[in-house]
Amino acid sequence: MSKIKKKRLGFVLDMTPLVDITFLLLTFFMFTAKFRNESESEQKFTIKRPQTQSDTAKLPEKDLVMIKIGIDSVSKDTAWYLSMVNEQDVAKLANEMLALKYPGAKETTALFKFTDTTWLGTAIERARIVNPRAQFAVDADRRIRYKWIEVAVNEMRKKRATTFHFVTEKKTGGM
Amino acid sequence: MAGGGEALGGGGKQRRGKAGKRKGKKRVGFRLDMTPLVDITFLLLTFFMLTTSMITPQTMEMNVPPELEIEIEVKQSELLILRVRDDGKIFYNMGLDAPEQIKSKKDLRKIIVDQNVDLKNRCIVTLKASGDAPYGLVVEILDELNSAEPDIIEGLKRAGINERKRKFTVAPLSEKDAEEIKGL
Repeated sequence: MSKIKKKRLGFVLDMTPLVDITFLLLTFFMFTAKFRNESESEQKFTIKRPQTQSDTAKLPEKDLVMIKIGIDSVSKDTAWYLSMVNEQDVAKLANEMLALKYPGAKETTALFKFTDTTWLGTAIERARIVNPRAQFAVDADRRIRYKWIEVAVNEMRKKRATTFHFVTEKKTGGM
Repeated sequence: MAGGGEALGGGGKQRRGKAGKRKGKKRVGFRLDMTPLVDITFLLLTFFMLTTSMITPQTMEMNVPPELEIEIEVKQSELLILRVRDDGKIFYNMGLDAPEQIKSKKDLRKIIVDQNVDLKNRCIVTLKASGDAPYGLVVEILDELNSAEPDIIEGLKRAGINERKRKFTVAPLSEKDAEEIKGL
């Protein structure tokens, strides 16, 4: 009992291993951190991706055209959104769309909103010209009606983008 | 961490006193106060840990044929049609048979595997989804078709076929199709 009462004067704890591990973790998280790009900060909706269990392929990180289909959180309408991932492509696409006089297009626009099929087709075509190596990915909310996806797929087919990805999420747990 | 302060103070005194001979003396028991450093490090660590999202999206790769106006004739008996109604109910039929509802995912898997194995690679699966059906459901069916592949290959191997040729199409749900599954 008397042991507990003793005051430990000048008690020094060696913090070196703690600091080592902390720095290690810090560097790890710093290097793996990915920050939102411009098109994501322009996005006004969240996407609940469909869940699958057999997909193992990962989404390519560059040379990608994202076609997002989401419900606007403010106006509650469904629309197609198109953005390119590579930074230089974003600027090129914005210039192309500006040249075509797309309503609301600015030089800084990274995420284009479409409610019209013809414009969506035009944008897909432009994106293919800007970066012919780019792959297409359809990132749609699972609650969206299938016809929206059908239209996007048909527009891509028309522009000869016949290989594309459906962005999904790993299903957790059982079936 | 009082030691840190002392050490720094001592250094200052030395500098003032004998400026030339400083380098020769060893600083025994030198302690640097690491508390602010650790504070900031932990702060940054928590920030990065909380902002990093570890879940990376996955993808399902799709290949569609380009728009060609070529009619391909297929045998009705080799055609497995899966139809998805507006309300998300799934129906299936072989060729000209009457459509039947698929109640669960397990049944769907069983039907796909059985038909593919029975027809020995000649089965053509067609998915016709209504425009009003939720996208999530369509992807789930596609996923089920994908994950049924190993079972089909297994079944074919047992039947003595080592090669798997997959035939699958997505077609729009026509009005006639919708009519056929309307009252079920």
